[in-house]
This record gives sequence, structure tokens and C-alpha cells, in this order.
Amino acid sequence: MPEEKLKSIDKATVELIDKAERENISTVFSRADELKPCPIGVEESCCKICSMGPCRLPRPKKGEGKVRVGVCGATIETIVARNFARKVAAGAAAHSDHAREVVQTFIKTARGEAQGFTIKDEIKLLAVALDFGIAVEGREIGDIARELGEKALNEFGRQEGELVNIGKAPLKRQELWRKLGVTPRGVDREIVEIMHRTHMGVDQDYRHLLQQASRAALADGWGGSMISTDLQDIMFGTPVPVLGSINLGVLKEDHVNVVVHGHEPLLPELLVVASRDPEIRRLAEKTGAKGINLAGMCCSANEILMRHGIPCAGNFLQQELALVTGAVELMTVDVQCEMQGLQSVAECFHTRLITTSDRAMIEGATHIEFHPEDGLDTAKKILKMAIENYPNRRHAVYIPDARQDMVVGFSHETINYLLGGLFRASYRPLNDNIMNGRIRGVAGVVGCNNVRTPHDSGHIAMIKELIKNDVIVLTTGCAAMACGKEGLLTPEAAKLYGGSGLAEVCEAVGIPPVLHLGSCVDNSRILMAATAMVKEGGLGDDISDLPAAGAAPEWMSEKAISIGQYFVASGVYTVFGTTWPTAGSEKVTRHLFEEYEELYKGMWAFEPDPVQAAQLMIRHIDKKRKALGIDKARDRVLFDMAMRRALD
Amino acid sequence: MDQIDKIDQIDQIGGKMSDYQYEEKEDFSGKKVKVLGPTYEEGKPDERGDWRSKLGSREDALRYIRTALRYWYSKEWYGSEKRKQEA
Ligand code: SF4
Ligand code: SF4
Repeated sequence: MPEEKLKSIDKATVELIDKAERENISTVFSRADELKPCPIGVEESCCKICSMGPCRLPRPKKGEGKVRVGVCGATIETIVARNFARKVAAGAAAHSDHAREVVQTFIKTARGEAQGFTIKDEIKLLAVALDFGIAVEGREIGDIARELGEKALNEFGRQEGELVNIGKAPLKRQELWRKLGVTPRGVDREIVEIMHRTHMGVDQDYRHLLQQASRAALADGWGGSMISTDLQDIMFGTPVPVLGSINLGVLKEDHVNVVVHGHEPLLPELLVVASRDPEIRRLAEKTGAKGINLAGMCCSANEILMRHGIPCAGNFLQQELALVTGAVELMTVDVQCEMQGLQSVAECFHTRLITTSDRAMIEGATHIEFHPEDGLDTAKKILKMAIENYPNRRHAVYIPDARQDMVVGFSHETINYLLGGLFRASYRPLNDNIMNGRIRGVAGVVGCNNVRTPHDSGHIAMIKELIKNDVIVLTTGCAAMACGKEGLLTPEAAKLYGGSGLAEVCEAVGIPPVLHLGSCVDNSRILMAATAMVKEGGLGDDISDLPAAGAAPEWMSEKAISIGQYFVASGVYTVFGTTWPTAGSEKVTRHLFEEYEELYKGMWAFEPDPVQAAQLMIRHIDKKRKALGIDKARDRVLFDMAMRRALD
Repeated sequence: MDQIDKIDQIDQIGGKMSDYQYEEKEDFSGKKVKVLGPTYEEGKPDERGDWRSKLGSREDALRYIRTALRYWYSKEWYGSEKRKQEA
């Protein structure tokens, strides 16, 4: 009998996959067994943008001289590049439409029209207002916020010029973008232009198509995503270190369990407020429950975890399994990464699935739309529905005994503070420790789970290899949650898994070797941390000079492609796992993997083995250390008193 | 005052050297040396490390932005990029 494929490295996940199988409940894991990926689609060698197709262009057979083209004559390069650019457009659109929703709510908050929302972080408001050239001296907070909201909204529809946040990047990078013609003008414009240029019979030069992909991706990273992060911080607070816990064991048998799933933190923030309302608590107790237990899932989880320490039930591949426990009264979903399969799992139990965004409905689910004007009332209504549903549990509840503590909340501002204190905040200690070799380099490991690779395995194997080799890791999204479950987000992890140099620095500063920076839009925090390192000095003049690399070992969504593309265009060597979406064309792949190094000083790579991928990243880090002349360890030894006296 | 006395004095202010833990490790040349061990507090934080609430007034906030976040907000100092600015 063939050995069964490992589905997850997380015990709780495996337990619930088994439970689902025993009870004949369809989940992403069982569906993936039944539905194999299409071999042509996996290489992106098909085009279906016009009805003369779909045109399938598999690789030519050995010895086949004929060059295959589509009915219109489109080459495989054009088809693959078009598909890639469309992925970037979809990913950038997802992050940026999230941002638009945040900005619109921000404007309503500034006008006092958003129920339950306030300006929580005045410091960040002042800083972001300065970015936008807004006068702050002597002005009321509400007044500054109103002007900022309007200016931020203009970034989406801007037609000419440059996005404001481009000015935050290292000067050398800004010059390079201008030279390459990829400085984004407006967020929406760059995305729309991809959709136009990839329409049948428009842009048919793969290099030119991928240039626009960079422009749209940069409009995501330095535009939409960064605007989201900044304005969310202003409304809900910039993350500071906080203790949280993670995994399916955060669900509580004797509580009303409400799982908040999706991406936009607007309604989740109000659910946090409403769950603490004495009236809601009393109602929950009346039904015999001990209280309300709010838990997060995917990036909504990251947002409320980072700001309030609300427990996180799990990452992307655990969404259906949370319902398989039979303990979830209600799950809210807004936008992105919500599987339609949730509804059929919910129907096997008493669980109510609630869609809350005007942009996303799921057939069969109940739709309760969130609007900032009465957001708190909506949050209370949803919690009351969950409470009413508590007595309807009809299955025996099974919650795996799996819950791990973690320290989260490392915004780029908090890292700056932890390294130097409030008034001497600085990235200098980090740069110094990179220069003296205690820390070898920095890696950003981010992104999704993908059912085609054992759940969490890629993240954990890669990150353990990196920290063992003294590379400090910044993480976001589902990758960060995988780290949390494995215990890598605790200061103790430095000693357990880190190389001696990295462990020493982490111990001295009191930080984990893997820093959780937030949700997927918070990858913009990694861009800011990298920029601070460049500007601090000693590690070159551009992000591409840093001993740094990026990775998404378990990516699956189009958002990940957009993130990867803006990291690469910002000068970061970026390695992806699972599959590679330009595999159908050698020329396009060579352009992204090799020619990009010449153009952007950063390039893509693909390596499905996470340890090998980590080794590629370490080799790149060492190459950059050599270029900076810091490849020979110039270690300082911390002397004790006797050694100091002996020096005399 | 010689260097060692200065260090002694600093130690007396900031906590005795003997209060710290030391560990034996190899330096880059393979020689055994004693290095400072963990200096963070044991256990898990039960409160948010809310350092931002220490900044009270608008002036404090703006001073923090211009100094701590000087990479983006200082008029005079741009770290590695200072050299590239025209005088
Ligand atoms: S159109 Fe593309 S993805 Fe769909 S079946 Fe054909 S080759 Fe596969
Ligand atoms: S655009 Fe060209 S390659 Fe694409 S489906 Fe139409 S005919 Fe085929």
C-alpha cells in the first residue's frame, strides 16, 4: 500500500483532518486528493482571454522543431507574461481595495461619522500627515485626519506624478525606478493598465508586460498596502509587543466561540469592543456559556492579535477545521482567502457563516453587511446571533489540546524602539550586529499555506534553517502563524533554534529570533524596516545592498505574486516554493530570475525544497556581505571584569 | 579615573556585574571566552509593552518623529544618504 502523504506538520490539524474524514466532511485536504492540478495550467501555458481559444501551448516535445503559438499568433512568452501580470493585477487590486475601504472608513472616523472608531494613535497620524505634506502645527487632530483621509484617497485615482509613499524609499531606489519607468502614478491606474495591456491583441512583448507588472506591484507595496497599514495603525494603534496564543486549542468548549476570518480589521475591531460589553457577556452567561470567546483566522486574526492579543485559531488551511471541532457558533468572513467550502462544513454543524463585506457573498451564508456608520450595532447583532446559536450545538465537541503562547506586535517603529529606547531609537544596533557578523542577515518569510505542500512544513523548515544560520527572520501572514504554532515567536526560541550569534543578540534585546510584523498588507512594514536599515548607514545605499532575502515557501494566492514582485522590484532576492507560475516559458523565467538582477538588483528564484531555498537565501546574503566587505567576521567579545583588568 | 574604574562605577549604577549570568562560548577564532548571558526578564509579559503611551504632548510626539524616525522625518540627517545630499 502506498504510504499516505503527510498533510500537515501540526498535530491538531492532522487530528481534525482525520475527524473530518471519519465523518465524511469534505475539506480542502480531501478535495485536493480528488482534484489534481492541471499540468498545462500549472505552467501557465494556456490562454483563455478570447473566444478563439482557449489556446493550450504545452512545451514542445523533444525534437519537435515547430514553435507553438496561439490562434492569434501569441507566443508562449506573451501568454505566460500576460498570465503573470494578471496575477499581479489581481493581487494588487485585493490589497488596494482593502486599503480603499480603510481610507473611506478613516474619513468617516475623522468626520465623527463612524460608530465606535476613533483616532487611537496620534503620533502615527502626525507622522503620516507629514509624509503627505500636511501642516500639523497648531491644528486639531480631527482636522489633520480629515485632510489626510482625502489626500490618501487621491492616491488611488491619481493619473500622473508619483505616489506619495515612493518618497519614503531609499533615494537610490527611487532614482532606479524612475530610470526603469516603473514609478507608480496612481494605484488604480497601474492595475487598470495591466488589464488593458493583457487584453487580446495589445501588449505582446513579455519584457514590456512585466515592466507594467512591476509598476502595479510597487503601487501595491508602497501604495495600497502601505496606506492600509498606516491608516489602520492610526485608527487602531501601532502594534507594540503583546502576548498572544495560537492554534485550534484556543477555542473553548464552555464558551460561545466566534471566529473572525478574512482580512479587513474594521469589523473585527468592533467585535473586540462588543465582546467586552457587559450586556453581551450577560446574554452569553444566560445561555449557560461561561462567556464569549473571540478568535481570529488568517490575516483578520493577525490584525486583532497584534493590537489586542486576541487568540488566533489558525492559518489558511485550518479555516474549515475550526468548524470541524463542532465548537464554533459563528464565523464572520469579509474578503480574501475564504474558501467557499466553509459553507458546506458549516452546514454539517450548527455553525452560522456570516458574510460581512458588500464585495463578497457566499451562496447559502447569511449576509450582514458592515457599514462604519453603525458598525458597533452590527458587531453586537452578530455576537447576539452567536449567543443564540450556542444551545444549538448538535454534535459532540472536539477541540484538540493545542495552544502555543507567542510574543507579537513588532511594527517597524517598535523594532526601532526596542533596539535603542524611546529617545535613542535606532536601527544602529541591528546594523552593527550585521556588520560584526553576529547576525548574518535578514530574511522576510511571508505568505500563505498551500494544500499541495504539507501544511506549515515549508515555513518551519525554511525558518529553522535560516535562524540556525544566524539570519533574523521578519514574518507576516500565514507564515507568521506557522511560526507561532511551532514556538518560534518566543524569546526562548533564540536559544533553542538560533545560531549562537543571533541567539546572543536576541537574548540581549529580549526579542524572538522570528519577529511577527502582522498581516499581508503589513509586508509594507518590512519595506520600511529595510529602508531604515539602509538609511541608518553602513550597509550600502539601497535595499538591494542589504544582506537580505525574501521568501514565500507555501504561496498560493495572486496576492503573494504581487508581494513577491514588489519585493523583487524593491531590490530583494525572493524565493518562492510550491510551483512556479512562468514555468511554461524559459525566456520569461530567465527574465525574472536573471535579467531582473541587472535591472532591479533583485530577482526571483524558485525552489520547492524549503531547506535548499533557505540555503539559496543564505548564499545571496553572503554574496551581499562580501560586496559590502563584511564577509570576514569582525566579532567583538563581551569581556567580563577579570578579562577587562587583564587588558590593563 | 582609569577605564576599569569607570566601568566599575557604571556597574554600580546599573547593577553589579555579578548580578548577570555568564556563559562560556567560543569566539570567532575558536578561543573559549565568557560572554554575557540572557539579560531579559524571565517569564511572559502579561501587559502590552505600550511604549508609545509614554509620549504625552504634541511636542513630545513631534520630537520623537523627528529624532527616532529621523530616517524619514529629520531635515538634517538621512544616515547613509546624507553624503548624497547637496550641502
Ligand atoms: S483552459 Fe487551461 S487550466 Fe483550463 S483545463 Fe485547459 S489548460 Fe487547464
Ligand atoms: S488571445 Fe490568442 S492565444 Fe489567447 S485565447 Fe485568444 S487566440 Fe488564443
